[in-house]
Amino acid sequence: MTLRRLAILQWVGLMLGAWVWGAQHALGWGITEATCNSGHAAAGIDHDLWQAILAATAGALVLGGGAAAIAVLRATRETSYESAPPLGRMRFGAIAALPANVIFLMIILLDGLASIFNLACRQA
Amino acid sequence: MAVATPPTPTAGERVDRLELMWQSRPGVLGWLTTTDHKKIGLLYFWATLVFFAAGGVEALLIRTQLSQPNEKLVSPNTYDQLFTMHGITMIFFFIIPMSTGAFGNYLIPLMIGARDMAFPRMNALSFWLFAASGIFIYTSLFLGIAPNAGWFNYVPLANRQFDTGRNIDFYSLGIIFNSISSTLTAGQFIVTIFKSRAPGMSLNRMPLFCFAYLAASLGLLFALPVLSADTILLFLDRNVGTHFFDVAHGGSALLWQHLFWFFGHPEVYILIVPAMGIATSIIPAFTQRKMVAFPLVAIAELLVVFIGFGVWAHHMFATGMPTISLVFFAAATAMVVIPSTIQVFAWCWSMVTGTARFRTPLLFIAGFIFMFVTGGLTGIMFLAIPFDQQVTDTYFVIAHFHYIIFGAAVFPLFGGMYYWFPKVTGKLYYELPGQISFWILFVGTNLLFFPMHIVGLLGMPRRVYTYSDGLGWTAYNLAETIGGYVTLVGILLLLGNLAASYFRGAPAGPDPWHGPTLEWATSSPPPDYDFPVIPKVTSAYPNWDPADRQEDRRKLAEGVLVLDEGHEQVATSPVDGLFAEIVEMPHESPWPIILALTVSLVFTMLVLQKFGVAAVMAVLCVLALLGWHSKEPQES
Amino acid sequence: MTDYVAGGRRLDEVPRTTEAAEALAVSRALRARLGPPAACWGMLILIASEGMLFAAFIATYYYLRFTSPEWPQDGLPAPKVLVPLILVGCLIATSVPMQLASRAARGGRLVATRLFLLAALVVQSGYFAYEVHDFQDQLRKFDIGRNAYSSIYYTLLGADHAHVALGILFNLWLLGKLARGLTTYRANATQAIAWYWHAVNLITLAVIGTLLSANV
Repeated sequence: MTLRRLAILQWVGLMLGAWVWGAQHALGWGITEATCNSGHAAAGIDHDLWQAILAATAGALVLGGGAAAIAVLRATRETSYESAPPLGRMRFGAIAALPANVIFLMIILLDGLASIFNLACRQA
Repeated sequence: MAVATPPTPTAGERVDRLELMWQSRPGVLGWLTTTDHKKIGLLYFWATLVFFAAGGVEALLIRTQLSQPNEKLVSPNTYDQLFTMHGITMIFFFIIPMSTGAFGNYLIPLMIGARDMAFPRMNALSFWLFAASGIFIYTSLFLGIAPNAGWFNYVPLANRQFDTGRNIDFYSLGIIFNSISSTLTAGQFIVTIFKSRAPGMSLNRMPLFCFAYLAASLGLLFALPVLSADTILLFLDRNVGTHFFDVAHGGSALLWQHLFWFFGHPEVYILIVPAMGIATSIIPAFTQRKMVAFPLVAIAELLVVFIGFGVWAHHMFATGMPTISLVFFAAATAMVVIPSTIQVFAWCWSMVTGTARFRTPLLFIAGFIFMFVTGGLTGIMFLAIPFDQQVTDTYFVIAHFHYIIFGAAVFPLFGGMYYWFPKVTGKLYYELPGQISFWILFVGTNLLFFPMHIVGLLGMPRRVYTYSDGLGWTAYNLAETIGGYVTLVGILLLLGNLAASYFRGAPAGPDPWHGPTLEWATSSPPPDYDFPVIPKVTSAYPNWDPADRQEDRRKLAEGVLVLDEGHEQVATSPVDGLFAEIVEMPHESPWPIILALTVSLVFTMLVLQKFGVAAVMAVLCVLALLGWHSKEPQES
Repeated sequence: MTDYVAGGRRLDEVPRTTEAAEALAVSRALRARLGPPAACWGMLILIASEGMLFAAFIATYYYLRFTSPEWPQDGLPAPKVLVPLILVGCLIATSVPMQLASRAARGGRLVATRLFLLAALVVQSGYFAYEVHDFQDQLRKFDIGRNAYSSIYYTLLGADHAHVALGILFNLWLLGKLARGLTTYRANATQAIAWYWHAVNLITLAVIGTLLSANV
């Protein structure tokens, strides 16, 4: 694996999860506002369907990010995260990416499932 | 190994040249025109202590008013101003500037092996703007028209219809004024951390303190503008006749809350993340082992702030929003706990598996972990929407956030004051009074804040200026007030100890703790130029690498990377620390304080509603900026 | 000891960039430098901060819209589409000469830098002059204090115009500096100000897009 490819995988692993969750979170909340607020009650959005699609897409992308991080970990087996850059830094980034992707996946699943299983537009 | 004594005569000459290049003007003029990150850090330290005292007086007045039922120490109107100013002062004028402006400014360049921040004059500007914004907002208190609608200032109460005086205009403008200072500081830290590290210090070799401050700075950068937007909209509603928050004309009162808490929640993570950075610096020094799970702690610090941007509506669970909207925020709130927990485990594991010396700094960190976990547990309870709706606006909330703020943000600041005292002053502090000050503070803060959980569950609302007898709240309130005064004793002992140690402490030398990071590799206090050579870095604990420190002495003897041809600094690539260029840095300058003065004039004219004059003052600001940018690096 | 290696490079390869005070020296120094200067990073910070400010205002627009039964409120007219879009197109096009100016400055080509900057400035000033006239015209038709729609409309638009004005001031200052020759400082400034304009152009597109979405 070339250094350039490894670098791309490391940054994808580290960053993709964060931005995907950010988008799913903002859009998912936006869908609930659009469904329930007076300005767009007639917009014809099937709330549960959209939330499911959003969560599934986001979840799949985060899994992809995790896979990228694992690929970097396997390629940098011989290095330590304390070693010189670029390999040491890449291993460091990949190790850091793992808990990030796990956490983002969990929030996406919680977000999606909770918004679907609760009654649409009932006040809290 | 400190490079305090030059190893050869020619090395001595080079050090003399550096001293000459970097020396500052003597006296008051030197302080007013300084761009030295250490001097600016000290200016912040003293200024924030003054605001801490002010916020503390406000707190003790509140507690004394609440010590007995139907107390008449202060009027309801005064009480409103007291609790509002207490919140504003402690958050915007104590914790943020103390942790970022004082600790961050002093330590970040030292930890990354730099000679100063990336933008030294802008650093000075941050301080003078901060000081001016504090004077601006406190003027309102002395005039008896301080902000009085709580630190989060909800509309419609804060709008023109119900709050007719200038109080809230001082709030809006004061907040915007202060946020300019904090935004500049945040930007400063981000650029410095990415561009000014010593060559070879790639991100995996950067101290965890810097990761924490990077996280806090990114948080400030992206959160503050939203608060500014909110307060701009409020200022327009109150002074120009717009209707953003006015339901009668198509506006939304809830809009204020969304914008406010989009800032407000990241703000509270910004409050504690630098303190976590301080904890992650103190623990390796006092356990003499590397931090457990270094990459996980680094990412956890960034994740706490990032995920913290997605939880804001958990402050709005009682507003009538639909459940399906609120669950997004409950979910994120549940998960934001995990990075904090990763850090807690790493800290505890490091303490258990290292040889822990419970000197005063580590005692404060142990206290911090206890209070952070306690406050965190009540925090998790809030994510349950039904529970939150019961305890919203009660003392339970006040208990939670004071455990977190005082316990998790302030305790490490106290620990850090002790830890870095030898570095900043060159003297050792007195250990026994230090330990006693910790225990008094620990007992005092727990006595002050723990009963608030109970009295909150018993139904006592927050922000009430008094309460009736016979509700079962009286004994708890009295205990809390006593706890407040015990806390005061602890703070006075701490500050008195540091003052006495400053005048009579034993000499500390460069490295009394055998600390892991680069600030311990230079003299105490550090010279104006921080390091005689730009240090060699091959690990995240550079002061524990004797070979590299030996190499630095050799470099000084041979004139390598001494950079004594001017007021010079290195710039490196952001990720891997590759050597990019050598740049000439600005030295002392009067423009920062001049610009801060012109900005103060703009805000003063705005609060007096003299908008035309404010525009003229803005032209003065532009002139000051032109003056600032008139001299280029190659001309100095 | 110029063959000493630090941070992956030999010391004699690392330029003292800020010393360069004429065109040839500037192009040599900047070719040897790795990556953008701190000035550009500082500009990125400003862009991030102002970008978030606009994001907050745009979010406010959509929040007010989703909580209103009727939009624009009170039967106010939705903005015209064609002329604003054409104008925005002209403004965005100035990113091209700004970027070319940035590259010319770093390459030591002073005359080209000045010409590209001037070309951009002419279009930007024309845009701004028209927009000021149009803003005043619209205020005569409906006042800012009419309702929440008018409040956010004029605030969002006014904030955008203010940032365009600031960019014009930056360009004027830069042309003034470049009148006296090229230095690394001025080349860095050109690069940073080009980044500012790219950001303002994108923000203007987002703002106009948001305001025009009332037609949908």
